[in-house]
Amino acid sequence: MALHLNLYHEVHKAKALKRRDPLKLSMYGLAAVVACFAGYYVLELVKLHSVNRELATVKAEFDKLEPLAKIARKREEDLQSQMKAGNLLVKRVESRFYWAPLLEQMMQVVPREVQVTRFAGDLTGDGLRRCSLSIDGLSAGTDPRKVAEDLRTAIAEKFSAKYKNVSSKFRSLEDGTEMIALDGKQVPTATFAINVDLYSGEEHVAAPPPRKKK
Amino acid sequence: MKLGKEEIQKLILAGLIVMGVVYSYFNLLLGPLGKRQEATRKSVTALGPEIAAAKAQIKRTDDVEKTAPASMETMRKVMAMIPEGSPVAWFPPRVGDFFKKQGLDKTSTRLNTELVEKEMVGFRRMTWAIDLPKVGFVPFATALAALENEEPLLEINTLQIDVSREEVEMQHALLTVSNIVKQ
Repeated sequence: MALHLNLYHEVHKAKALKRRDPLKLSMYGLAAVVACFAGYYVLELVKLHSVNRELATVKAEFDKLEPLAKIARKREEDLQSQMKAGNLLVKRVESRFYWAPLLEQMMQVVPREVQVTRFAGDLTGDGLRRCSLSIDGLSAGTDPRKVAEDLRTAIAEKFSAKYKNVSSKFRSLEDGTEMIALDGKQVPTATFAINVDLYSGEEHVAAPPPRKKK
Repeated sequence: MKLGKEEIQKLILAGLIVMGVVYSYFNLLLGPLGKRQEATRKSVTALGPEIAAAKAQIKRTDDVEKTAPASMETMRKVMAMIPEGSPVAWFPPRVGDFFKKQGLDKTSTRLNTELVEKEMVGFRRMTWAIDLPKVGFVPFATALAALENEEPLLEINTLQIDVSREEVEMQHALLTVSNIVKQ
């Protein structure tokens, strides 16, 4: 068996030590980590670029739409206010209170024994309209008070057929001082004043709250 | 393997360098990048509903424009019923002519109040007092019915009929009417 002597073992050992240099190994490891980090960073940069491009597209679309939306909003407001005015006008015309039918009914209930000396009416409210009437007059007959009372109830009955919540009350009813000729007979008189309240139309339903604007 | 002093020092140095690199990477590079990405994404997300709202607004206006002509037609008809010019100039003669046509010659009309209609843009309401000093009840009631039918923009607010003291057959009528006119 041949004897093998390594006369370079010192050199070999030094080389091995150099190969296993922890700093060098750490630098290799670090370089690998840095390469990974750099790769990931580039990936993230690409992502950011893509998001930026998306933002630019969205912003361009928004910049194009926003002025159009502003014009549209203004136009809608104008149209809505015009339509609202038109609808209100139509509603107001349709919900008017007509006095002629009321006078016609009044003519039908006043008997020949009664002379109305004053008729006054006042209309209040929107939607549900309240009409207050004041009817002053003179009744004649053997029992002029009953004639006046019959007129009061006849008014309430007649008006109830067409109007709502009709109330008919005497404000005053007094015996008259003078006698008048009726059908060739002298009969006593009474003066009366009747207050009539009646309602017409419908109560306005509250409008929904306005749509919130952005 | 036993590490020498010099090697231990090198290892510590390498560790410090690694820590520095990691810290710098995350805090100086990746962190700000992430923040920018997040902010951009937020901007994109925030613009989404605004774009949708703008599109919805445009669509809504288109829909309103499609339904508007019917209402506008009514409006045009109403506008055509109101003469041009100051109502003080045209309303009293118009009322006078109307009652004259109905056989009631004596009429006087004067302006009471005037108010702007807040809910009806472009219109105002004028209140007038119409005095008919000598009228028969039946002709007056007939004229009143005709007035209510022919003047849809006019409404009688108060009505007063008194027996005339001079002539028992005649009445004195006083009307307060409100009329819608252009602003």
